[in-house]
Amino acid sequence: MVVDSTALYGLLALMFQFFNSFAFIVLATVGLAIIFGMMGVINLAHGEFILVGVYGTALVFHAGIPLPVAMIAGVAITVVFGIIVERTIVRHFYDRLLDSMVATWGLALVIAQLLLIVFGSSLGSISTPMGNVAYGPYTSSIYRSIFLPVVAVLMLVGLYVLFTRTEFGIKARATIEDPETARAMGIDTDRMYVATFGIGSGLAGLTGALYAPALGSITPDRGSTFLIEAFIAVVVGGPSVIIGTLSAAGLLSVFNAVGSFLAGTFVGQMLMLLVAIVALRMLPNGITGYVKDWQQRRRAEE
Amino acid sequence: MSSSSDPTVRQTPAVAATGDATDTILATTQLTKKFGGLTAVDNVDFTIDDGEIRCLIGPNGAGKSTLLELITGQLRPTKGGIYFDGQDLTDLEPHERIDTGISVKFQSPHVYENLTVEQNLRIPLQRTDRDTDAVLEQTLEEISLTEQVEMTAGDLSHGQQQRLEIGMAVTLNPTLMLLDEPVAGMSVEETREVAELIRSLHDDGMAFVVVEHDMEFVTEISDQVTVLNQGQIFRQGPIEEIKADDAVRRIYLGENA
Amino acid sequence: MSETASASIVDRIRGRLEGPNTIGNSTPFWVGLGVVFAALAVFPLLTDPYTARQSSRYFALAFLGLSLCFVWGYSGILSFGQVAFFGVAAYTFGAIGINFSSATGIGAATIGAVAVGTLFAAVLGYFMFYGGVRDVYVTILTLVVALVLHTFMAQTAGSEWAIGDAQLGGFNGMTGIPDLTLGVGASGFVFDGIELYYALLFGLFVTYLGLRVLVNSSFGMTMVAIREDEERTATFGYDVPFIKLVVFTIGGALAAVGGVFYASWGNYVDPTVFGIAFAALPVIWVSVGGRESLLGALAATVAIERMQTGLSGGVGDFLGPEWALVIVGGLLLVVIMFMPAGVVPTLDSIIKEQLAQRRGQSSSPTATEEASD
Repeated sequence: MVVDSTALYGLLALMFQFFNSFAFIVLATVGLAIIFGMMGVINLAHGEFILVGVYGTALVFHAGIPLPVAMIAGVAITVVFGIIVERTIVRHFYDRLLDSMVATWGLALVIAQLLLIVFGSSLGSISTPMGNVAYGPYTSSIYRSIFLPVVAVLMLVGLYVLFTRTEFGIKARATIEDPETARAMGIDTDRMYVATFGIGSGLAGLTGALYAPALGSITPDRGSTFLIEAFIAVVVGGPSVIIGTLSAAGLLSVFNAVGSFLAGTFVGQMLMLLVAIVALRMLPNGITGYVKDWQQRRRAEE
Repeated sequence: MSSSSDPTVRQTPAVAATGDATDTILATTQLTKKFGGLTAVDNVDFTIDDGEIRCLIGPNGAGKSTLLELITGQLRPTKGGIYFDGQDLTDLEPHERIDTGISVKFQSPHVYENLTVEQNLRIPLQRTDRDTDAVLEQTLEEISLTEQVEMTAGDLSHGQQQRLEIGMAVTLNPTLMLLDEPVAGMSVEETREVAELIRSLHDDGMAFVVVEHDMEFVTEISDQVTVLNQGQIFRQGPIEEIKADDAVRRIYLGENA
Repeated sequence: MSETASASIVDRIRGRLEGPNTIGNSTPFWVGLGVVFAALAVFPLLTDPYTARQSSRYFALAFLGLSLCFVWGYSGILSFGQVAFFGVAAYTFGAIGINFSSATGIGAATIGAVAVGTLFAAVLGYFMFYGGVRDVYVTILTLVVALVLHTFMAQTAGSEWAIGDAQLGGFNGMTGIPDLTLGVGASGFVFDGIELYYALLFGLFVTYLGLRVLVNSSFGMTMVAIREDEERTATFGYDVPFIKLVVFTIGGALAAVGGVFYASWGNYVDPTVFGIAFAALPVIWVSVGGRESLLGALAATVAIERMQTGLSGGVGDFLGPEWALVIVGGLLLVVIMFMPAGVVPTLDSIIKEQLAQRRGQSSSPTATEEASD
């Protein structure tokens, strides 16, 4: 009986680890995936966008505002920041994909360094809300292992509804599909780009806000914490935002969770990278790229 | 049969798989390509003689481009084989097939827009052991771009770009040339120039497979026409016969209506 | 007779070095380059040892710049992970050199480190290019590889993380890496200080000329063809994945050479060589200098690194040294937005235009018309 319950606890811990990892990958990826999938721009400053959300939340919180309100403020700050970046920098690069990566990378350096200069080497950490649940020899954070996974799933559902069921979503997709035709149909494509970039930034900001109380120390180099997972997931998932993010996060977090659970964070990351390389070896344009190719081929022949 | 009387034409031995006519250069046997539940190319036995010009026509979705891509290796067949000049191409990589003497110009125009006309021609040419400068000069003359040699290819007119592309494919000195819609979007004058270019290369012994919708152009260059429909060979024969064929007209009208 | 013979040899050499893929195909250019080389050769004699030593570091990094210029500028493979090959070679050099500190041992460390860095690039390249991984996916994957190495090296602080006597050292890095040494047996010629400067200057110059020959050869033309249009190039029978693999491997080797020099220069290497800030540097140098120009990459690496050193004392009264990275990042943004080709190619085309104009003014009006046509 004792052996049984230990195994059960272990399994439970692994499951929580999976939820934790799944939430992290989805949340780290989704803002990047929206901007890449909808606009074809890889925002290499994505980690720093998340960081803006973290800093926004932390600064407001430390000013004595309750955490949920501080989080909303963090998201709002990141949206405004994202729109400014889109108008001043990113819009010059819509037809220059590789240049956009280089430019946003330069931006990433500038943001991280400016945060260091303005706010010093770290901000006070925020304690993780909701406490822990203990079972057998293990404890898991309720916030990280239950609350955030639920938020991640709700976010994907929300995005699905936004892009398939609302007028905005249909217009945005039409713009992405064929900007010329969209313009001819009277869609203000410029506004669509701003809005899409704003949503992507907002999601990055939300990720920052949500992880502000889960990061421990808040330092200007934490942006790269999110990058590895986000990049691997976008590469594996391919250009289709929701299905890509969901399938990549599902696949990767299994390996990440098992690796982390058995041998630590580094092994978890290594396993993810290996999965990504193997996945790309078989599906060079990601999971959804493969599905899309196949659909296009079918359509072309019909 | 249409083999040229030109003495420079290579009399290649028969393809093992077909085993008959001595001047067959390309043969596909039961070539089939399925995408999911859809059969894009269905059991096609297609042969080309050395030195002939064959036009491939058919309504949209008939499988013409798929057939070309199977021959060049961009796609792998679900079933069947491809034989060229005595060799089994079926399992060769696309670039290995080019080395057997096939050259191709795909549908969408792809010159190197940022490079000069000369550089555009040198890129394929440097793969061969031909005398680069002599062939360059000769090719420029054939495609009437001698004066534009230093121009950036992106600045050429559409017709000039198409001619340059054909010229690039020709510098490889192929035995067989595959052209996918070589005159799409061209003016009457430009179309006539391309037809002349193809005929003059044909006179030098080059065989052609040309996918084309422009029936006037087809009539101008072609000996034999193959009509594809729903992935299968529907009719095959001299152009005049095909044009007069009611069934061919029906599939065209039916699909295009 | 002998004069024409030597002239024809010069012509033949110049024929190899010059072509449409490099900037500087004129006699004035070669004279200028000779003057710069001579000036750099006497530079350590005129300046203080500290400045000379810093210059050695710029030269070591210039190999990294050249490696990215080669793979990105000439073949269109935007790798954000050149630092991975650089860093792996640096660590390998340290690991072998610390364990076998004889001249022979350090010789083996040099060869071994370049070999490991090169092999690493070849394996990664094989998986990417034969797997059909392209464009942004290559960029992201190479960056992720560097970042994962960063994570790995950062957690090697424990004493169990050692290769023989060489401690990986986690965030503190690997210390006690020997100087480059040339010789057989226990001791040999040690490259330290000024010797290292000259070894680097000479190595860099030879590498630059060698790469010029390569990019102006038919292989270089093929690289450019792949950069301009991969699919089209494949239809001429080029084995595109193989060529990209070769290019990527050569790029890895160049980065690895830089890594060996870098490790022996500071006798030290730490995980920041895999970090995102360092990984950004080659991209900044090459973008600013001009990605399609070896000379641009070279000049920009040295200039930007020199500038960073200059900024490390702060600018005037308001800006402290922490602004250096902001200024460099800002410089990248400005260049990529307003001078996408980079500084050196832009300057080159301005000079060419000026020359053409002057030539046009001095000759007949008809000639001007033709020139401007």
